[in-house]
Amino acid sequence: MMISSLSQFKALLSKELKEAFRDKRAMMLAMTMAVMAPVMIFAMSKVMIKEAVETPAIYLKISGVEYAPKLIKALNNDNILLFDDVPNNKKTIWDERNLTLTIPQSFNQDMLDGKPIDIYLSADYSEKANLSPIRRIKSTINIYARSIGYKRLLIRGIDVRLLQVVNIIEQDTSLPNSNAMIISMMLGLYLLMAAFMSGLPVAIDASAGERERNVLEMLLCQPVSTVNIVMAKLCCASLIACIGVLLTLSLTSFSVSFIDLTKIGASFSLDFFTIVALILLLIPICFFASALQLFVAFQSKNFKEAQSMVSMIIMLPAMVPVIMMFVDDKPKWLNWLPISGQSLIMENLFKGLPVSWWLMIFTGLVTVSMTILLVFLMAKKLRSETVVLALS
Amino acid sequence: MIEVNNLRKSFGGAKKGWFQKEKTPVIALDSLSFTANDGEITGILGPNGAGKTTCLRTLYGLLKADGGSAIIDGINVVENPIEARSRLGIFPDKFGLYERLTAYEQIDYFASIHGLQGSAKHQAIETVINDLEMTELAHRKTLGFSQGQRMKVTLAQALVHQPKNFVLDEPTRGLDVMSTRVLRNYLARFKEKGHCILFSSHVMQEVAALCDRVIIVSNGKLAAQGTPKELCELAGETQLEEAFVKIIGSDEGVAA
Repeated sequence: MMISSLSQFKALLSKELKEAFRDKRAMMLAMTMAVMAPVMIFAMSKVMIKEAVETPAIYLKISGVEYAPKLIKALNNDNILLFDDVPNNKKTIWDERNLTLTIPQSFNQDMLDGKPIDIYLSADYSEKANLSPIRRIKSTINIYARSIGYKRLLIRGIDVRLLQVVNIIEQDTSLPNSNAMIISMMLGLYLLMAAFMSGLPVAIDASAGERERNVLEMLLCQPVSTVNIVMAKLCCASLIACIGVLLTLSLTSFSVSFIDLTKIGASFSLDFFTIVALILLLIPICFFASALQLFVAFQSKNFKEAQSMVSMIIMLPAMVPVIMMFVDDKPKWLNWLPISGQSLIMENLFKGLPVSWWLMIFTGLVTVSMTILLVFLMAKKLRSETVVLALS
Repeated sequence: MIEVNNLRKSFGGAKKGWFQKEKTPVIALDSLSFTANDGEITGILGPNGAGKTTCLRTLYGLLKADGGSAIIDGINVVENPIEARSRLGIFPDKFGLYERLTAYEQIDYFASIHGLQGSAKHQAIETVINDLEMTELAHRKTLGFSQGQRMKVTLAQALVHQPKNFVLDEPTRGLDVMSTRVLRNYLARFKEKGHCILFSSHVMQEVAALCDRVIIVSNGKLAAQGTPKELCELAGETQLEEAFVKIIGSDEGVAA
């Protein structure tokens, strides 16, 4: 009597799904990623917009205030204030930043004589928080100085335009969408992470967890092929990963609609085409991620080892896109590999550049075939006694 | 019918890595041969570490023998493991339950794996649940079941497809008197229907009461076999327990 493997697969899958959906903790964990991503993207965009649009007060320690009252007034107009006026709650911060400007005693006399004046700006230039204040202080002083210079020339009857020998007119060819790059980069990263994270608890539980609870051994004594068993577990874990990705995608596009990106001259929208393309890109990744997790979890000796090993796999979607940002001349094969291929296509998608469907299909096929390879490797492993009984 | 011919199995013998020293292998089975016939209950007796569980694990294909063969109803378990396993009902040495499923769902799961479907499956599950007197347990999640209750679920899932051959690894450990009797009666009825039952045990009374034939295994070898009565006569004792100790104690002489 041969038992139909399709009906066996149905029974295996329905049991895996029942167990997965009844495991409330695993489901909660799976869905945290979907909830976290939109919140993070929302918060970070808010901060970014605020930084880009507003000019917060800068408190500068100036020695020799009395020598250059007009310069001080110009600085004040750009919200660059004296350190003496700093409110108490910000005092320590600005004291630590220690931005100091030294105005020489001879400022006024040199100004009258038309001599170059040296004023000293000292600060820790490697401190990231100082960069924006330094930039603003420099530009304010430069503008102030230049306006005086122009006046000097005008008085002497010289056209100011003589100073502008070559004028660069900049034309930004990036599409309006590209300005929201950070948001879309983050969304891409989060989607990849969601594909890897959501299925993770289920994948570990179905493999290393079942072995530790002695139920895997019993299942392997039954007349069912190991390919079938692995496929059922994979389908279950990937299904949950897919749900996680879809949830992340929909919640994010919902939350981004609350951010007013026009303030920084950017626009971000997920149209129907983009969403379909994203889903098509990410479904193979969900399967690949779950297969990889199952593979590693089956290999490890116990539940704990499985957990720590599988958590290392999560580094993949986080690291690969970041590394790719630093590689300027990307080799061709990066387009084809799982994760890197998808993240490159996603980047183009978000930039609004045309996406090659062939490349997309090809990358998907590579990902799927690697998944199938993993399935067969696992099925083979499950037939060996060392893996089943966690020997060696 | 289950036939075991010259089964050999050792653990940890192979040299594995470059830096690993070669270890002396532990010989678990050393040319073990026996036959369990249809319509009989065959018991495997043996001290701890004699190779009982290894032998049974080889039988359901979880372990690969180094040599020899195990044949179930004429099917070699190495050559055609799936076909062989479909003729087996297995009560393993280590067993766990799917703690997020109910007992019924778990039995249903194993019935489906064995190819039962529709109303036939439903009927089979109901029958086995009634036979093992576990109707009250059936629709509870198995998390927190007592040892005896867990045993019953495992037995039910092993028996739901009415296997021709039934292999049990120490089935009565942890069962109370009532449950043990239920199991014994069930096995006896199974035997009447012409099934082949093979079980390992430590409990002498049980083996004496239940088994038609007893196989005594020691150090992976067959030490003696026969009916309980024959074994007593062989050792010159009246009680099976005494006979067992005597047979195990003397390595040579009594081996059949």
